[in-house]
Amino acid sequence: MSPIDPRLQEALDGERDPGELPADLGEAYARLIAATQLLSATPRLSVAARVMAEIRQNPAPAPAHTRGPLRRSLRWLGRPITVRLRPAWTLALAAGLATVLLLPFERGGPRPGVTQGVAKFVGHFPGARSVEVVGSFNDWSRGALALNDDDHDGIWHADAVLPAGQHEYMFVVDGERWVPDPLAGRFVDDGFGEGQQNSLLIVRPAAAQP
Amino acid sequence: MRVRLALALGLAAAPLAAQSGNGASRLAGRVPAAALPAIDSIIATAVAESLPTEPLVQKALEGGAKHVPADRLVSGVRRGLLQLRAARIIVARAVPGQTPPEGHVAAVSAALARGLPAPIVERLLTVAPNESPGPALHAAADLIAHRFDPDSAADLLVDAHNKGLRDGRLLDVAVAADHELQRGGGRTPSEALAHVRAMLPNVPVPRRP
Repeated sequence: MSPIDPRLQEALDGERDPGELPADLGEAYARLIAATQLLSATPRLSVAARVMAEIRQNPAPAPAHTRGPLRRSLRWLGRPITVRLRPAWTLALAAGLATVLLLPFERGGPRPGVTQGVAKFVGHFPGARSVEVVGSFNDWSRGALALNDDDHDGIWHADAVLPAGQHEYMFVVDGERWVPDPLAGRFVDDGFGEGQQNSLLIVRPAAAQP
Repeated sequence: MRVRLALALGLAAAPLAAQSGNGASRLAGRVPAAALPAIDSIIATAVAESLPTEPLVQKALEGGAKHVPADRLVSGVRRGLLQLRAARIIVARAVPGQTPPEGHVAAVSAALARGLPAPIVERLLTVAPNESPGPALHAAADLIAHRFDPDSAADLLVDAHNKGLRDGRLLDVAVAADHELQRGGGRTPSEALAHVRAMLPNVPVPRRP
């Protein structure tokens, strides 16, 4: 980079009259001053920015159907908003929600109401692919209450909150084999004339259990 | 595991919420079409006779789920209607002067289905006409299923009721009697009942899982 002529520097610093400069330096001085003015001038707004500024200054009048408070509230509710999340806060929120949702189960299992009780279903079905319990408590609907065998030891189990009272039920093994619960202790003929028995469950209200 | 349990509970609870609806409408698509008119007719009869319909709806749903042939399914539901009628007669005799409560009729019908003799049912109803009869009836049925004499079983339960035991505690009486019988030592059923009667009202509370 070539050093600036000291005379030109003095002129730019206001210490020398630019008119005293030689012609070539005078021309360089003029160009530099013009460039300085150009840089210091307020940049012109883009077309989009000017349009938006104009809109902000002169908002369009609201249509008649959006003027009422109810309409405005509905508009506000339907308006999309942008939420900025920090990963740390998001994780903390998720952890809090998980705590609230999971802790009651870890502490006490399903919580029955005043007229409900907890029923525990257990069956030994080694090699079974699926076991579910179907009964009067779920309108004899298939697929409503599956037993689990998470450790694959052939012992399937499930807990359910049921209304207090009497319930007839059966296990359905592998989706097709209907089996009474051998641990039920109570059985009743199913009444369809082939001597098949339903298991009978009596659920006591949790409030009455010690 | 817990999530699956919660999901299962939710799924199980949904049909329960629907049980208060019209029974016949719950059968569409769940029972063979050939059986539907006859079952509708049986349910309509129950409605006309002010009998509870839910046991009949449940029996029809059960038959549909088990793929019971239409004729046997209808027979099973009709048998349920006859049992409800018999139950209402017993309730009306035991609890005179009032319309037989549907809950009593359904509980008595279930007890009859378990093989409880009608005189035992009537006797237990008479002891506590304004209480839910289900627990006492089940306790009696449990005792009889374990080879206790029906009249002696009823005596024990009446005694337990008179000493203040109610609801689930009556079931505990039956459990205690069964435990006494299984304790061994050559104890006869009548001795086991006598032993439990001597405990009343302090029968042990069975340990629950």
